Amino acid sequence: MAARTVPHAYPMSSEYEFANPSKIYDQNFGEGVSPCEILAPALYHGYYIRPRINKQLDRGTSEISLNEHKFQVFLDVCHFLPDELTVRTVDNLLEVMGQHPQKADRHGFISREFTRTYILPLDVDPLLVRATLSHDGILSIVAPRTGKEVKARVNEVKITQQEQPVAKEEQSEEGKGKEES
Amino acid sequence: MAEAVIRHWVETPVRYQELFAVQELEAHKLDHSLYALPGPSMAALSNRRCITESMSGAGKSGQEEENTRFQVLLDVVQFRPEDIIIQTFEGWLLIKAQHGPRMDEHGFVSRSFTRQYKLPHGVENKDLSALFCHDGILVVEMKKAPGKN
Repeated sequence: MAARTVPHAYPMSSEYEFANPSKIYDQNFGEGVSPCEILAPALYHGYYIRPRINKQLDRGTSEISLNEHKFQVFLDVCHFLPDELTVRTVDNLLEVMGQHPQKADRHGFISREFTRTYILPLDVDPLLVRATLSHDGILSIVAPRTGKEVKARVNEVKITQQEQPVAKEEQSEEGKGKEES
Repeated sequence: MAEAVIRHWVETPVRYQELFAVQELEAHKLDHSLYALPGPSMAALSNRRCITESMSGAGKSGQEEENTRFQVLLDVVQFRPEDIIIQTFEGWLLIKAQHGPRMDEHGFVSRSFTRQYKLPHGVENKDLSALFCHDGILVVEMKKAPGKN
């Protein structure tokens, strides 16, 4: 997945729908692969990909479900224990952090760390965010939405006009005179 | 031995057909370097003929215990090649990957991990090669010293 520095910005187009999917996959990281899991490459949307035998498609997902009454996030944190996770809000940002020390898995030893930041909608009160961790390692974060339309505060800025300086024309005329002489 | 069949040209890309014609297909059924598209290891393909034969009994994942090589595969699809550091330290192979906050579809994310593998005896630190495949699989290979084991 390529990291994006410029967001796809037009919210009414189908590009926006596809560029901002409610569910993104393949977010577990640092996983070992054994060579017998990799299948022959297949052409997928113009690229060769190598399908895996035991790829768990339903794991490692991040899902945002947004409706009129609540904002909800499901994040798969199955590599982390409950006390290795931190959820906090900074202004209207929702930060989920996880860090686990070195532990053994079936490929070797691994330690992981991640920080994921979601942006809360404007009508969500950050103090009402609640987080629940399910038994299979899905972190669910819920916050109610007030549904009130946030009024944009509009402030007309008066433009002050600058007078054209008088001395400037004289100077340029003088300059012209010098060039001619 | 049953004859291997080229079922579909997508699964056996055209650029490999010359290699397939020369070599035994069965021997390369599990050869990872065949799948490393379009990696730089094409030249080394010819001298890897009988490596995969010992693979069939290998239950241990990720690390092929072979005659000549020690190989590790790692899924680093979320990282870029410049985010990854590979080190060897006192008989351990360390693979560190770290990237700072990046924008994705759901906001910003930063990740880091450190993975350690114990190197088997006789693996030389000098001959370390790493290949970052286009689909995000990192292949780290180290040669074993020929005299040992």
